[in-house]
Amino acid sequence: MSAILEMLSPDFLLHHAVWGSVVVGFVCPLVGVYFILRRLVFWGVALPQVSASGIAFAFMLQGLGVNFLAGGEAQEKHLAIAGALAFTIGTILLLALLRTRHAEHAEGHIGVLFALAGATAILFVAWNAAGETEMLGLLKGEIVSISESDFHAMLNVFAVVTACMFLFQREFTLVSYDRDLAVTLGRNALFWDLLLYLIIGVTISLGVMTVGPLVTFGFLVIPPMAALPWARGMLSFSIFSSILGGLSAFAGFYASYAYDLPLGPVVICAACGVYGLSSAARLLVSGPKSL
Amino acid sequence: MTKGGAGPLLRFKNASLGYGGAPLLTKVDLTVEAGDFWGILGHNGSGKTTILKTALGLIPCVDGELTGKTPRFGYVPQKERLDPLYPLSALAVAEMGACREFAPFRRAGREDVRRCLTECGAASFAGRRFSGLSGGQKQRVLIARALAAEPEVLVLDEPLAGIDITTQKALLDLLKGLKDKRSLTIMMVSHRVGAEKEMLTHLAWVEDGRVAVGPTAEMLSKGRLSEVFKTEL
Repeated sequence: MSAILEMLSPDFLLHHAVWGSVVVGFVCPLVGVYFILRRLVFWGVALPQVSASGIAFAFMLQGLGVNFLAGGEAQEKHLAIAGALAFTIGTILLLALLRTRHAEHAEGHIGVLFALAGATAILFVAWNAAGETEMLGLLKGEIVSISESDFHAMLNVFAVVTACMFLFQREFTLVSYDRDLAVTLGRNALFWDLLLYLIIGVTISLGVMTVGPLVTFGFLVIPPMAALPWARGMLSFSIFSSILGGLSAFAGFYASYAYDLPLGPVVICAACGVYGLSSAARLLVSGPKSL
Repeated sequence: MTKGGAGPLLRFKNASLGYGGAPLLTKVDLTVEAGDFWGILGHNGSGKTTILKTALGLIPCVDGELTGKTPRFGYVPQKERLDPLYPLSALAVAEMGACREFAPFRRAGREDVRRCLTECGAASFAGRRFSGLSGGQKQRVLIARALAAEPEVLVLDEPLAGIDITTQKALLDLLKGLKDKRSLTIMMVSHRVGAEKEMLTHLAWVEDGRVAVGPTAEMLSKGRLSEVFKTEL
């Protein structure tokens, strides 16, 4: 209990890290619900890895002397975000295009991209030996050392993402559930798809920068999976997923802090614990057929 | 679709229809007038849904032209095409039909949608999860959703498939009632002619990449059927 009170104190040394993790836990599931419903879970595996590769690529460019944003730690972060965004959004658009043209190979394409992203991330780091330590810190998610300015920038961006996810929920649901109906009603389905992909790209890029690819993937998929059996509509699905993500992040941070364990894996285990509890409760309420 | 003044709602003129530039149906000549009830028939994979998708503007004509008045459509897709994973109530599904514009802080015509559900006999299960409904109940909700778009033309893709005969008859009665009450024009895809033949004003037989069209009585005559299927009946 004292550890929790200590974590909640404004004077807590890792104050921004706690709330940064919780915010990522709240926001990632909001876009994750569409990964589950559109059956794009494998995108959730590949995209954080692609984002990490984009960060590595940006740092490699800097190591090679392409310093278009160079000059201090803040610019380094901006460079990393630019790399993550460019790679992630570019890959989302490529996957969406391939999905419409060659749907039968969709999973294979994601597998190829995942392997390529993992390999190139390592190669980009290898070609930039000077920045290897910092790079590895970013790839793991350096939430513990997040600065005040980065924390507030992250809050602002995630506030916009959250607002968009609720403001445009009807449109995102319509084009995801029945695209043909959307077109028949005269809605610009391509625009809403692209906007959703853009928001997914921004969320994943920032998530990877903050908590790393593993935790980002976990928050995209696990809380929505835990929330789905209890959802009575898209709004309740989104809100419930988001709350479970935030609670998992807080519980994970507490366990990590109290028992001196690595943050990322503990947060994932906490989220899986919540999923396990949800499944057990569903089993009790509805019987074995519900699983 | 090019806009026209007075005249047919839809007119396929020597059109080739298909996907990705490859024609599946050729020389399609089909004119839909206000008040018509078209049945589009043929076996699975023959291209019936291709006609509907082209009429709805979901895919372009490969060749030829589709003209008409650009009517307002209400679309009832095959119910199996809708993913049961979505946690949507029947009401939420029906409300989609009223999502013509971006209105984030207003439930799009919720009262109108409720009226459509009542009209289709679906009000009693509006709060239930859509994926848990029976085939007939789903069709009622999807027809209500199509009505929420205030259509001139109601387009239905295999609405009677996988539904027992009693429910089929109830759905056909519902469609007949809606057609009369709302002065609807209807295009309905089916893979066989059943009880609906009494209601259809026109038939389009889709066979071997061709579409034979005409008034129902003429199309169901022995001579015409023999001609369409190239066999003695």
